[in-house]
Amino acid sequence: MIAVLRSDLYRSVSIRSSWLALIGFAFMAALFGWFSKEAWSLFAGIGAFGIAVTVTAQHYQHRTAVLVFLSQPHRWRVLIAQCLVAAVLGTTLAAVSGLPVLLDESAAHYASTVLVAPVMAVFGALCTTVVRHPMWLLGGLFAWLLFAEGLINRMENGLPFAAFALASAGNTKALLFLLAWTAAAVPVAVWAIHRDLAGD
Amino acid sequence: MIEIRDLTKTYGRVDAVRDVTFTAAPGRVTGLLGLNGSGKSTTLRILLGLTRPTRGTALVNGKRYRDLDQPLRHVGAVLEQGLSHPGQSGYAHLVTQALLGGIDRSRVGPLLEFVGLEEAAAKRTGDYSLGMRQRLAVATALLGEPNVLVLDEPANGLDPPGMAWLRELLRARAEAGGTVLISSHLLAELEQVVDDVVIIGQGRILAAGPLAELAGTARLRVRGGDPVRLAGAYEKAGAAVVPYEHLLFVSGLTPEQAGDIALEIQVPIYELVAEAEHLEDIFMNANVAEVR
Repeated sequence: MIAVLRSDLYRSVSIRSSWLALIGFAFMAALFGWFSKEAWSLFAGIGAFGIAVTVTAQHYQHRTAVLVFLSQPHRWRVLIAQCLVAAVLGTTLAAVSGLPVLLDESAAHYASTVLVAPVMAVFGALCTTVVRHPMWLLGGLFAWLLFAEGLINRMENGLPFAAFALASAGNTKALLFLLAWTAAAVPVAVWAIHRDLAGD
Repeated sequence: MIEIRDLTKTYGRVDAVRDVTFTAAPGRVTGLLGLNGSGKSTTLRILLGLTRPTRGTALVNGKRYRDLDQPLRHVGAVLEQGLSHPGQSGYAHLVTQALLGGIDRSRVGPLLEFVGLEEAAAKRTGDYSLGMRQRLAVATALLGEPNVLVLDEPANGLDPPGMAWLRELLRARAEAGGTVLISSHLLAELEQVVDDVVIIGQGRILAAGPLAELAGTARLRVRGGDPVRLAGAYEKAGAAVVPYEHLLFVSGLTPEQAGDIALEIQVPIYELVAEAEHLEDIFMNANVAEVR
């Protein structure tokens, strides 16, 4: 599992598109941080989810998942490693993009967002293991945010991104909702990662 | 050693492979031949733990792939015409794979040189030609210095020198005691490298055995001083003879018997060739027999 973790981290830093995605998501979060710390938190969460989707989905998109499964046939270990990689990248993204918030004397808000960001990244990695196609996921994310969380739920607690935004402001109940969403995704992802990899 | 026993994989009501049984022995190159959709890739993917069998077993060195400790040190695989992220350089790809397999990254440089990609090491693999991707895939397979190689259509995209290089590589691995299982539809290429042949069609084994045994000696082509007398003598010895211009095509005799008979009747022989079946003939015959 450590081998998969090291390999995936090296892979992420050696592929330009992964770097650009990380910088792009971080820049977007930092940009929204100028408006309000709550907006930064939400976009740091979206960024953590997005970078997890980008890095995990590349394995399925370019079929390098085959090479990963050849080296580690116990796929649940691959899933754990990919979640850890996503958590590391999600934490980095939140920590770097939130520096203006930290400097704005909102240290508690910054700290809680950085602590919750890896949960959102793990949720992203789990969702990607199920859906596998990044465009479907990112397109679905946009539609979900707009309709389900924004228009229908009005960004109130209960759904994952609203839960993330509230949890990053220190709401413990919202954090439990986010953890529950992530936990619910685990068995589906475990089932999904054991699906046969179709041929080319 | 690769052992496939009664392997069946069913998708819905369709058997992708059915009761497939064969062995690829150490020290030999085994060719897995079949038309597109015949089940050869499914068989290899089951062997490598990428697809679960409906029933049956596929063993590498006596163990299921998933039970191998550090599988990349036992098995090297070339699949799907070279797998790599197109944004990663060849060097970075191999380092990623070395980290993945717990293999010392110092092997990466020499391997790139071995497969002839040292000058393209810093280039993105997305800019590689198909042949370069295949060479990179071979380097990836060799990273763990495995004693078993499984290659699915490795010659695709290789130019003639590349094919010659691959042939030498596979022969050298087999001669060093390794097990090589290779699938390909390039029969003429395969014929030059395989020791054993497994022909698969519609998910079932149609023929299997050493190439020399399957090729056999189909007939003799004889050109002699007196074709009429020769034909008579051969027929008298129980052979079937088909004359064609100045040639005789003789079935039912060994080259030694044909030569001895000619000497006995004092007819000079100018040409005596044992015409063995080519792999393509064997393959076509097996498939035609299946259709009937």
